[in-house]
Amino acid sequence: MKRMQTLILPFQFLTYVLMLIALYAIFIHAPVEKTMGLVQKIFYIHLPSAFLAYLAFLITFLASVLYLRQKDPKWDIIAHCSVEVGVIFCTIVLITGPIWAKPIWNVWWTWDPRLTTTLILWFVYVAYLMLRRTVKENQRANLSAVFGIIGFVNVPITFFSIRLWRTIHPVIITTHGINISWPMKVTLIATFVAFCFLFFSLLISRIKLEYLKMRIEGIKGIMEEMNYSRGVYHGQ
Amino acid sequence: MDNSIYLFAAYSIAWVIIFIYVFYLFKRQNALGRQIDKIEKALRREGELKGGHL
Repeated sequence: MKRMQTLILPFQFLTYVLMLIALYAIFIHAPVEKTMGLVQKIFYIHLPSAFLAYLAFLITFLASVLYLRQKDPKWDIIAHCSVEVGVIFCTIVLITGPIWAKPIWNVWWTWDPRLTTTLILWFVYVAYLMLRRTVKENQRANLSAVFGIIGFVNVPITFFSIRLWRTIHPVIITTHGINISWPMKVTLIATFVAFCFLFFSLLISRIKLEYLKMRIEGIKGIMEEMNYSRGVYHGQ
Repeated sequence: MDNSIYLFAAYSIAWVIIFIYVFYLFKRQNALGRQIDKIEKALRREGELKGGHL
């Protein structure tokens, strides 16, 4: 844990530097797309955010499986924190998408398979977070793990929705690679790397907070036990 | 095609969401820090009381 604490500060600083590089690449290096114009640059935050939301839910899925196998609370913490960060990135996807769609499709929202499945995905994981708040503590980890596993079914459905059904959503990543010019590809990679660092910075910070909370609860429990035993002793 | 307002809106909202979340983490960290202070005070008081009895 101490080694993690010494590593987190340089990691966060690197995230900051990479974010500046990504912003330079987006607004200075990347060319303006001919038909869509400036609004195409939304794509550079939309795509990495979508990928990181999927990654977050994959981490939740794996941590949930490991929790049910090992019953180690650390997997429950990782699953929960990952959903929280994933929902943040999924929210960014659901907001930047319609902002791009308005000038390009002339509508803010359409019930396209990709848009609809992404919205369902968001609802599923918001429900996961709500479930954790409402369920009793002794059932919370088990139920959340089951939810984390079942909820993950939506991720491949969302990802493959543009290949499985007729859609107006652009298909950027194909079997032939990424369908954009080289300067755009470089910008996308830079943004991708920066967003990955941002994602892990947020996730590690959130996990650290949850560990701290757990340790405080533990200390409080010990103190209460000590007070109780002293009270019993004095009562005798 | 000048649609820079959409670009500005998308990036602003994305950054606002990230900053709100970072602020939320910061607030939670402060709340936990206050709890640690409380525990520390309680333990100190306990230690002082024990010292008094001795």
